[in-house]
Amino acid sequence: MSAYLEKMAEFSALLRREGLSAGPQETADACEILSCLDLRQRGTVRTALQAVYAKSREEQAAFQRAFDGFFVSVEKRELLRRRHEEEAREFARRRDEAAQELQVGGQPMDLREDLQETYIRMSEEKREQLRRMLEKTKGNLERSPKLYGNFIRSVFMRFLLEQQMVMEDAAVGCEEADPDMALLYRDISQFKDADIPRAAALIAAVSRQLDAELSRQRRGGGHSGKLDFKRTIRKGLETGGSFYRLSYRHKRRRKRRLALLCDVSGSMLQFSEFALRFIKSMSELSEASQTFLFSEEVRPVDAFALQNMDAFREYVRSSGLYGRGTDLGSALEDLCRRRPAPLGPSTTLLILSDTKTIDLPRAAQAVLEAKRQAGKVLWLNPIPERKWAYVKSIQTMASLCQMAPCSTLDELARACGRMLK
Amino acid sequence: MDIPSLQAKLDEARYIYDDELVTTLLVALKLGRPLLIEGAAGVGKTEVAKVMAAALDRELVRLQCYEGLDESKALYEWNYQKQLLSIQVQMNRQDPDGLTRSLFSDEYLLQRPLLQSIRSEEPVVLLIDEIDKADEEFEAFLLELLSEMQVTIPEVGAIRARTIPFVVLTSNRTRPLSEALRRRCAYLYIQYPDLEKEVAIIRAKLPNANEHLAVQVAQAIRSLRESEAILKKPSIA
Repeated sequence: MSAYLEKMAEFSALLRREGLSAGPQETADACEILSCLDLRQRGTVRTALQAVYAKSREEQAAFQRAFDGFFVSVEKRELLRRRHEEEAREFARRRDEAAQELQVGGQPMDLREDLQETYIRMSEEKREQLRRMLEKTKGNLERSPKLYGNFIRSVFMRFLLEQQMVMEDAAVGCEEADPDMALLYRDISQFKDADIPRAAALIAAVSRQLDAELSRQRRGGGHSGKLDFKRTIRKGLETGGSFYRLSYRHKRRRKRRLALLCDVSGSMLQFSEFALRFIKSMSELSEASQTFLFSEEVRPVDAFALQNMDAFREYVRSSGLYGRGTDLGSALEDLCRRRPAPLGPSTTLLILSDTKTIDLPRAAQAVLEAKRQAGKVLWLNPIPERKWAYVKSIQTMASLCQMAPCSTLDELARACGRMLK
Repeated sequence: MDIPSLQAKLDEARYIYDDELVTTLLVALKLGRPLLIEGAAGVGKTEVAKVMAAALDRELVRLQCYEGLDESKALYEWNYQKQLLSIQVQMNRQDPDGLTRSLFSDEYLLQRPLLQSIRSEEPVVLLIDEIDKADEEFEAFLLELLSEMQVTIPEVGAIRARTIPFVVLTSNRTRPLSEALRRRCAYLYIQYPDLEKEVAIIRAKLPNANEHLAVQVAQAIRSLRESEAILKKPSIA
């Protein structure tokens, strides 16, 4: 038993690092259950430990990853060791190559270490794109090394940041263990057509859960508000006239009005349709909201176009908004001028956009005007929060209104939850 | 009990199971832990409790949860009418303290499912169905029962379980359950069955059904479940 105990304590520590609440009680339970099982039956041991340690579907995915990493056979461990050594050799080779390639005019390019690592890990195809660009600008670089040196560095930085975002997709690791849950943590812009039905089902489940949680919180406890005499007296009759249970009156809560402004220009379409789907599936929001789509101009959209993904795409394509640039300033000015006014003191304006727009100063002015008209302005941004520091337009807009990151369905759910609380 | 004997009992109850279910049931039985089962509506969560009652040859005590469920419906309630009648009848009694004491005795206690399950002479299977529909306060109230196998009635004190029930909690995941409740349970997530398992279920429930038809029905149901347009997915039933 003590041999098990030591091993299981190590495993519990590993699970705690993975975010599971594996305490001494779980370790003791795991040891007890292992003593009743045939340890050669790997599947049975895995399921039994999963029942002890993982207490939700989300935790099951994390548990399976940890289990597969921790309990490996001697042969597999040897295989992994060899593979690891090979990978380390390959990484060292690519690092030397990268050191040669990441040079401008014979000098090493001034890039952050994490971006250099991204370059090393990037696919050969992507590296080739950068090499070609470097080759093309070689002549210009010789003529004006300072100017083109900075230009090349900025192009590299942007490309590497984009690649980093793709590679840091948090869900890649758990895709195999639980594809549905993985979708929750994957970048929405990376969803493929085949993922859409699963994502839609997931949105419905998450929004239902969020809806139930919020309505439960709103109902509140019984012992608050004014005493309801009529009901208390009526209930008292059941207990011979003594007021054994008191009833209270609760204030009726008004639902807030919501105006949604969605960017549907090229890169934003996929995010907007998922975000709209999510927001519309929450009964708390859908009953009192008006939706507008924009790219260079703004158009109101009715509930029928939001019924399903196909209808939405069809509507966007036929509206002429798709494939055009983004002009947030003009869209917001139009929204503020509309009559009857969609914005008012009791309205929350929700903007779904990545902040990339033409004429940023005009857009910033328009956001201030919208903020003056509406009670509250919230911005859902599909760009991951860690990249915000490098995008000027995000910094500008974030200083003007409250902004929440929504690159994954999980973040979107959390942002909607926070917004309604 | 070990895995083969549990499998034999489930076979006797004509229940179609997979390895994950049997192993998790064994974990819950061996550790004496409640079993928390989550999954979409209609995947057979409640059925597990019914089958376990049949397999263990125990009575099934069921508590159906809903919004506003409190201890008076789940645990106990004093029989007020009877207490009032008793006060009227014994109004002239010389010993008022004795009368008060007698008013809070077993005679006036209405047992609800939770109390009934722990005061039973024979161990039972306690099914707490759709716990996610109950309020968070009720969840917290359950903790004492699930971890200590005892309940506290203010007028009487703590009542320890005479026999330990096998507790099954089910949830449709309409809201997340508290961490404290989850930690006290063994956990199982049931998904919709794969094609093979669904055909086996149809065969077990309808032995006279044509084999080809069973496969076709299972395939049709599977494609309906995969359709995005259908919000309420067809259950196994």
